[in-house]
Amino acid sequence: MESNKKYWKGLEEYKNTPDFVASNKNEFAEPLPIEDVLSEAGLSTVTPRRDFLKALGFGLGAVTLAACQKVPVHKSIPYLIRPEEVVPGIPNFYVSTFKGNPVLVKTVVGRPIKIEVNPNGGVFSTGTDAQAQASVLDLYDVSKLKAPVLKKKEATWSDVDAFVKGELNKAQASGKKIRIVSSTLNSPSAKAVVTDFAAKYPTTKHVQYDAVSYTGIIKANENSFGKAVLPKYNFDKADLIVSFAADFLGTWISGEEFTAQYVSNRNHKSLAKMKMSRHFQFETGMSLTGTNADTRVPIKLSEEGPALITLYNAITGNNLTGGALPNNVYADKALKLVAKELLQNKGKALVVSGSNDVSTQILVNAINAAIGSYGTTIDLDNACKRYEGNDAEFSELINEMNRGEVAAVFFLNSNPAYDAINAKAFTDALAKVALKVSFADRLDETSDLCDTVAITPNYLESWGDANTYEGYYSLVQPTINPVFNSRQAEQSLLIWSDAAVQDYYQYVRNTYETKIQGSVGKTWNELLQLGVTTATAKTAGAYGFNMSLEAVIASITASSKALQKDIELHVYENISMRDGKNANNAFLQELPDPVSKVTWDNYIALAPKQAEKLGYKEFDILTVKGESGYSVDLPLLIQPGQAMGTASVALGYGRVKAGKAGNNVGKNAFPFVSFSNGTLKYATTAKLSATGGREELAQTQTHHSFEGRNIIREATLKDYLKDPAAGSGNHHKHKVYDLWTTDKHPKLGNDWVMAIDLNACTGCGSCIVACNVENNIPVVGKEEVRKRREMHWLRIDRYYSFNDEKAGHEVSKEAEIAHLENLDQVSVVHQPMLCQHCDHAPCETVCPVLATVHSSDGLNHMAYNRCVGTRYCANNCPYKVRRFNWFNYWNDSRFDNYLNNEFTQLVLNPDVTTRSRGVMEKCSMCIQRIQAGKLKAKLEKRTLKDGDIKMACQQACSANAIIFGDKNDPNSEVAKALASERIYYVLEEINVQPGVGYMTKIRNIDSETKEVHA
Amino acid sequence: MRNISLNFKKSWKSAFILAALTLFISLGLKAQDLVAGKTLYKDNCASCHNLETNSTGPALTPKMNEREESYLIPWIRNNAALIASGNKQAIESSKYSPTQMKAFPRLTDDEIKNIIAYAKVGEPKKIAAVGVAVVDEGASSLSIIGVIAIIILSIVVLVVLGRAVKMLERLILKKQGIEIVEEERVSLALGVSGLFKNKKFVFFSVLCLVVVLGSFGWMGMWETGVHTGYQPVQPIKFSHQLHAGINQVDCQYCHSGAFKSKNSTIPSANVCMNCHKNVQAIQEDGSISVEIQKIYNAIGYDPATQTYDKTKEKPIEWVRVHNLPDFAYFNHSQHVVVGETAIRKEKGLKPTDPVCVACHGPVNTMEEIRQFSPLTMKWCINCHREADISDKRNDAFYVNVIAAHDKIKKGEKITPALLGGLECGKCHY
Repeated sequence: MESNKKYWKGLEEYKNTPDFVASNKNEFAEPLPIEDVLSEAGLSTVTPRRDFLKALGFGLGAVTLAACQKVPVHKSIPYLIRPEEVVPGIPNFYVSTFKGNPVLVKTVVGRPIKIEVNPNGGVFSTGTDAQAQASVLDLYDVSKLKAPVLKKKEATWSDVDAFVKGELNKAQASGKKIRIVSSTLNSPSAKAVVTDFAAKYPTTKHVQYDAVSYTGIIKANENSFGKAVLPKYNFDKADLIVSFAADFLGTWISGEEFTAQYVSNRNHKSLAKMKMSRHFQFETGMSLTGTNADTRVPIKLSEEGPALITLYNAITGNNLTGGALPNNVYADKALKLVAKELLQNKGKALVVSGSNDVSTQILVNAINAAIGSYGTTIDLDNACKRYEGNDAEFSELINEMNRGEVAAVFFLNSNPAYDAINAKAFTDALAKVALKVSFADRLDETSDLCDTVAITPNYLESWGDANTYEGYYSLVQPTINPVFNSRQAEQSLLIWSDAAVQDYYQYVRNTYETKIQGSVGKTWNELLQLGVTTATAKTAGAYGFNMSLEAVIASITASSKALQKDIELHVYENISMRDGKNANNAFLQELPDPVSKVTWDNYIALAPKQAEKLGYKEFDILTVKGESGYSVDLPLLIQPGQAMGTASVALGYGRVKAGKAGNNVGKNAFPFVSFSNGTLKYATTAKLSATGGREELAQTQTHHSFEGRNIIREATLKDYLKDPAAGSGNHHKHKVYDLWTTDKHPKLGNDWVMAIDLNACTGCGSCIVACNVENNIPVVGKEEVRKRREMHWLRIDRYYSFNDEKAGHEVSKEAEIAHLENLDQVSVVHQPMLCQHCDHAPCETVCPVLATVHSSDGLNHMAYNRCVGTRYCANNCPYKVRRFNWFNYWNDSRFDNYLNNEFTQLVLNPDVTTRSRGVMEKCSMCIQRIQAGKLKAKLEKRTLKDGDIKMACQQACSANAIIFGDKNDPNSEVAKALASERIYYVLEEINVQPGVGYMTKIRNIDSETKEVHA
Repeated sequence: MRNISLNFKKSWKSAFILAALTLFISLGLKAQDLVAGKTLYKDNCASCHNLETNSTGPALTPKMNEREESYLIPWIRNNAALIASGNKQAIESSKYSPTQMKAFPRLTDDEIKNIIAYAKVGEPKKIAAVGVAVVDEGASSLSIIGVIAIIILSIVVLVVLGRAVKMLERLILKKQGIEIVEEERVSLALGVSGLFKNKKFVFFSVLCLVVVLGSFGWMGMWETGVHTGYQPVQPIKFSHQLHAGINQVDCQYCHSGAFKSKNSTIPSANVCMNCHKNVQAIQEDGSISVEIQKIYNAIGYDPATQTYDKTKEKPIEWVRVHNLPDFAYFNHSQHVVVGETAIRKEKGLKPTDPVCVACHGPVNTMEEIRQFSPLTMKWCINCHREADISDKRNDAFYVNVIAAHDKIKKGEKITPALLGGLECGKCHY
């Protein structure tokens, strides 16, 4: 059965607005300024003979002179004393840890250029997120400070030490409080340093707060089970996952880890065993997780509490008040179905909620206890230590500072002047503190208010450790000497507390050898090599829930009531910017949001019908006025799937002191966050009003149109179980014609191909950043993205399809969509799209200079130095994956995002050419990795093994959605994957014979879930 | 004449010194001892000792003259044993450096005596050699000038003789009474102008000119950006002829990356120091060779105190000779390890030649390194087309590929091109 469902890349396409139709027909987003150049003086008048001759003469002369130019002399400067392990041309790999996740750092001649996956990483060894991939760029950030700053002036460390120690002694003498403010520290050594510091200065207290907080869950677990911890969630053990606005595949707690767990029950391997988990998502804004859910039900923020009460009642048979959703029949129906299925899947189900409200999380605990999640899908005994922040403590800190009780405050990996919910209250209070020290690498919002900035190195220049989970210990080791005159915060604290061991390396080592080694058994040197070590995990206990829920229900109902006014505003973290700490990373700024495909901006998202109702058009600038009176102007994005009556705004934007790339991008949404009942609330309300202005968002969506061809194929799990080839179109094979009947080109050696599992790909985008870093792909900036000139070799296309709630089936004709009352019932497919390396590549036949040709191992080669930039190939590419260099992005002052200086250029991969202006480029299937892998095998005189060569995108993918290998090797993983019945090739009907196979999207929906929408 | 006398004076002086030395040596010692001693010294001692300056070990000439032979022989053979025996002199000597001297149990007494004999005298000063060199230089420049003078002279003589012959001929003709008609000149002038009027001739000459100039231009254009023979001046006058040629240092000793990396790697200064800590090429005036001093300056080494000063380090900025454009990927290990046999065969190298010679040419004869091959794409491609890599048949990596290939195209020569070595993306990415 072939699906005849209709997919849209964006709402413009489905609506077929005149603008879209017109722009789609044009090759260029904007008309080329040919007329301007050849204006009246040019076109209407005849060029005078003298001018012509002058131009000719000048041209000839210039060319001759240019040809006479001497070849520049290249210097070659070897090491004076070459480190034994460094051989120029051969990369070295070192283990390290990024934000608690173990990674492998690739260095060339001593400079880190790429983050890979640490194969010893255990639960985290499947992939890395976009943040980790982009993090190498932060090392080479020119916006960083080069020396410590004391009272706004560059200073030496001895001056800083003298000043800080003097002030600390004064603070101690006065008996006033000293506060160390940090985001969660999951490093045992750093924690020990803080403890040591507190021992020397006894009035010290460590205040941990996270800009995006998980205090609600921690407190709820304390209340329910007496364990103030963030549990370890086991999505891999859950056959049924119900999430209430928890974006667990993206930003919630540990996205990459959960992705790997989640996908293990849904990918091609699991489907081959005829097994697939089921996922319901109830949420307000369209999150990455929501797009992957089998059934997604939009609910208002105010409906989340009542929905959970309803679910609780349905599962336990209780009849608590407040459990009614009078205005959302779909949610009501869905909840009844979910309750039924949860009871059927006791011990194999998991309910999570993204709320930071203690009461809500207590109720979730009650539900999870009722369905037997504790001990199976939720593990309270091997707690997660990623987030330990306490919102109330930070709130209390501001009061303390206001009362003048605090004499010294240290900011470590925290930036409250930007991300505190009331930055003004914070800065006013801070002014009353005598000693303000910031450990930061740049003069950010908070550092700017401090008298001392003790500049810290990047994690790639630091020693350290991390303890992400109870018993899971990983190491941070430097891969380069500190580039600037920086000093680790921990070392500074050790020096200021006159510690016995002041060298932080020695300190970390001592911590390991005295406190940790005993439980894990690995020596320090072994740990340096492995990067990770684990103690035997404790057995997860089953916990019973026996709290009275009355107060909880009352609190939930009250909060829900409070939200029922104006527009309910949902403030969330998005995949690329997260909490805004890495806002100056150009790779992240240009990473399109997985759902809206917006780059370089945040926006206010409204449902299509909502916008229509309020009379707003897409890209209208709206004033969003929060409860606290804070208001910002944001462009409007129309987002199908957004719940009616709600709006969403992403956090992490609007930095003003982040650096060149990150300053003044978007607007700060942290002030919309509210504080109540001891925790931060990301659900609030706002009033909207139009400003009359309009600003086009830089979206990568709809830039590359497929003209409505059938490129996504999907099936329901039920159909798949009956017939694995369901939906793939494999029943009817197109007859294969060959252009070259006489001269066949057999692939004698390897045949490099790829298989992409659409059921595994969550659309998170870490592959895009990995590809950018690996292949020196330039960041082009907001203006250029608007002109559709983004350079990403790999993009992830997001397609919407709609369900007709009245007719009770999927929309298969364009005409039907107009009759839809509600665009809530949207389902989404993510499709990574890259050069398909077609065997009959249309780009190759049209190149006038043979710059793009086919290789004997199945790759479509692109010789940049041969390309003259006709762009015929891009025009003839059915997949629109070719990118044209309009500028020398890496050396042009107009694109001063990040790479336009020699320092940042150190991040470039020396094995990949930086492309020049006027040249076409596209995915090379990481040919540098293929060649390197082959050479390694040749040097070792062995056959090439499957898995020796990994693509940059493949190794970054936590979901293992991308499988690369040699099709000629029948035992290779890719050959097996391509033999799957689910495989189809995009646009195979045009006989281009692509080298990238896609596996159909399978949705675990059935008549009952469809019933929800009916 | 003056020159010759001057040269004679110089060489006379050196000859005198040489004679005096020979006399002295033949008086005191047998010449045999010195030659054998020198060889033994080079083989065993020179890596740590210099004759007149301190190095890892102390300067030898003064020490040898200072100490008794009866002490020196056991010391050289096994200094540790001598120190252990409690010999005061030995204990004193062992304080020179924390690095202990190696034992040489295999050296016989005679051999040690030879070494001592040689070390006592040291190398005959290079004055003689310098003198000779000056004579040589004089001779060579003199001979060149002489040759030129002879050529000019003979031309003049020929011209004069020719004129004389003509005159004589005329005189003879006159005497014989034959009138000479001076019409040849007129006809020549007329002929030339006639030629210019001859359209065929003009066309032909212009055509020739165009062809000649055109081919020069064409050839010139082919040479644009090709830098065969490029021999920039390097910051240190490093001689490959001396190192790779005369001293037979293996290429890999310095260019250690060539066998494992894409870069052959220019050696870091610490590699130079492995030898040049001792090899200082002491000059006539006792100073260290200027070029070797440059290495010391770069790495912050003070030969007098034998210490390194990190603060004085200054990397050596070599001028790159072989410049491939950035868009071309070349890997040394692919060629010198994987493709070694094929390249040797293709370029007809002798088994004794290092494989590097195939592209870098006779480096062992180059005083300063120069680009030997054109490094053009045509040059690369030609080899990829022609080289026979059938030796890879049994190489695990290639087995399947070549077997598959054999099935389809039987008997064809296996070249890199056949396995995809001409495809753009193999070098351009």
